[in-house]
Amino acid sequence: MRMTRLPPTIRPVLENGTPAVMVTCSADGKPNTTVISQVYFVDETHVALSFQFFSKTIRNVRENPRAYVCVFDIQGQADWVLQLEFQRSEAEGPIFDAMDMQIEAIASMTGMSGIFKLRAADIYRVLSVERLPDSDGTASSSDLEASSGG
Amino acid sequence: MIPGKIVRFLEQYANAAFGGTRDRDLVPYGHKVCGWRVGADQRTMTALVPEGFTSGLVESLQENGELAVVVEEFPSHETYQFKGRYLGHRAVQDDDVEVVDRIRKRFVRSFRSIFADAREDVLNAFVAKPSLAVEFEVLEVFLQTPGPGAGTRLVPPVES
Repeated sequence: MRMTRLPPTIRPVLENGTPAVMVTCSADGKPNTTVISQVYFVDETHVALSFQFFSKTIRNVRENPRAYVCVFDIQGQADWVLQLEFQRSEAEGPIFDAMDMQIEAIASMTGMSGIFKLRAADIYRVLSVERLPDSDGTASSSDLEASSGG
Repeated sequence: MIPGKIVRFLEQYANAAFGGTRDRDLVPYGHKVCGWRVGADQRTMTALVPEGFTSGLVESLQENGELAVVVEEFPSHETYQFKGRYLGHRAVQDDDVEVVDRIRKRFVRSFRSIFADAREDVLNAFVAKPSLAVEFEVLEVFLQTPGPGAGTRLVPPVES
């Protein structure tokens, strides 16, 4: 089975506090696009997404587990694209607690305290990761790190 | 029909957007949107997509027509999602570039209110030049501003 690993260079981007975007698709073929406040690094092959409000997204990934996420490295002038597969939802435990703390920090920084509320940490397997060129074409996708294994 | 209040939001305040499509296998894909225009009849929108995010876009739209575009004002997080059906695509025109230029100025001004030290050229680069215009008929509008009402369908209104 081919296993994609997240490169270390993506970690500061996941932790930069900039909102990310997620696209899912229902079983009847309707895409859904939503802004998400956090993409949490679980390990080299998994991320967790914060489940706060977006019930349509939650319904979609339970019907069709595939998800697309784009995270923005504004300072680095690049965008990272991840193809994901939903695995499970956790409403307690160390991943949930760590994400809850980060959500609080993001909410405080953006004036959304009391509105951002983590309901669950949804765990996804990383199927692919790609760093897209910026508008000037100066960034490259060479940071793509995929390896065979597992 | 897109309500006038939301048209004003799109034309005067919103500063970031992203589109979603899917392929024939129901695999979702994303496409950065650097600009948007509302049709005169308020029933259509045009999404302006930069070079790096056009891969597979037209093929998916021609195959199934499904498009979902989320538009946000950062940092207030006022957000709406526009779901609709692909009508066509065309090359970018001069007035499209002017629309993106206005959005870029709004984005830089708003982002700087949170990240005061961010470099001007870096922020400007985030809103890239458009390379493709995609027109779609807006069939549904959803409120997606974070909070208890997130996900509420505004157009057509939900019947109670």
